[in-house]
Amino acid sequence: MAGTGPGARFYRQIKRHPALIPMIGFIGLGMGSAALYLLRLALLSPDVWVLASREQPLTVPLPLCSWDRKNNPEPWNRLSPNDQYKFLAVSTDYKKLKKDRPDF
Amino acid sequence: MAYPFQLGLQDATSPIMEELLHFHDHTLMIVFLISSLVLYIISLMLTTKLTHTSTMDAQEVETVWTILPAIILILIALPSLRILYMMDEINNPSLTVKTMGHQWYWSYEYTDYEDLNFDSYMIPTQELKPGELRLLEVDNRVVLPMEMTIRMLISSEDVLHSWAVPSLGLKTDAIPGRLNQTTLMATRPGLYYGQCSEICGSNHSFMPIVLEMVPLSYFETWSALMV
Repeated sequence: MAGTGPGARFYRQIKRHPALIPMIGFIGLGMGSAALYLLRLALLSPDVWVLASREQPLTVPLPLCSWDRKNNPEPWNRLSPNDQYKFLAVSTDYKKLKKDRPDF
Repeated sequence: MAYPFQLGLQDATSPIMEELLHFHDHTLMIVFLISSLVLYIISLMLTTKLTHTSTMDAQEVETVWTILPAIILILIALPSLRILYMMDEINNPSLTVKTMGHQWYWSYEYTDYEDLNFDSYMIPTQELKPGELRLLEVDNRVVLPMEMTIRMLISSEDVLHSWAVPSLGLKTDAIPGRLNQTTLMATRPGLYYGQCSEICGSNHSFMPIVLEMVPLSYFETWSALMV
């Protein structure tokens, strides 16, 4: 029948109880932020290895997180002193940090 | 240090602890406001003669009491995350001190410039001098220079312990086989007390920590004497 799909039922429910809209909004915000942060950890975290076998063409610039142990070993060695490691920098000015360790 | 009948946090001795105190005040005010509102509403509901027995629909009030708590939670979360990230910032410590937890005392190693090692046992109650604090004084205090950022490396030689100094906002677990790091920065001289904060056996309550923050010249004299 016409109005019994899940989208139609959802729409009718919302029209009867509009107070659900802010609820869905905030829960969506929370779950979305959590998912995005997990994605950031998976793709940009320089101290994890995840998978160990996929081939990757060497012409692609290597990302900071390593999903490929063979072609991108030890991604943490490629962090420069100016890379922002943390999500939020309250009073550290990363542009001003100097490298005072010897190179490998 | 704590005093009898104390209700709040100890006075702050480090910038992070000051931030934590303000955050605590902010959050506690929100908690008091909400609790007193709820208590008031409960008292109203229990003392009314009005009744309503049919099903109610209350979309407007439901919208308000969804959005308002969400806003309040965001107002608590943002300062909290800011302080959390602030605690982890890079700050170039000038000195590194290692502390190892044992059953039931702390040992300290200052190995940057010389080889200084000592143990820090609690002074038993029978041997306290007048004016000293029961269960808080130690024989060898941890003397450190004030107004300088110090790296503390904390570990344990046997079981779990935790190295805590409340007035500096520090508490870091001492885990055998693991090295934990925290940074210490005291803005004023004085004696700062803390106690072991992870259950570690029969004398867990009897292994305190005393930091003696002094000007740099006094620290240099002391460390030359102690070696």
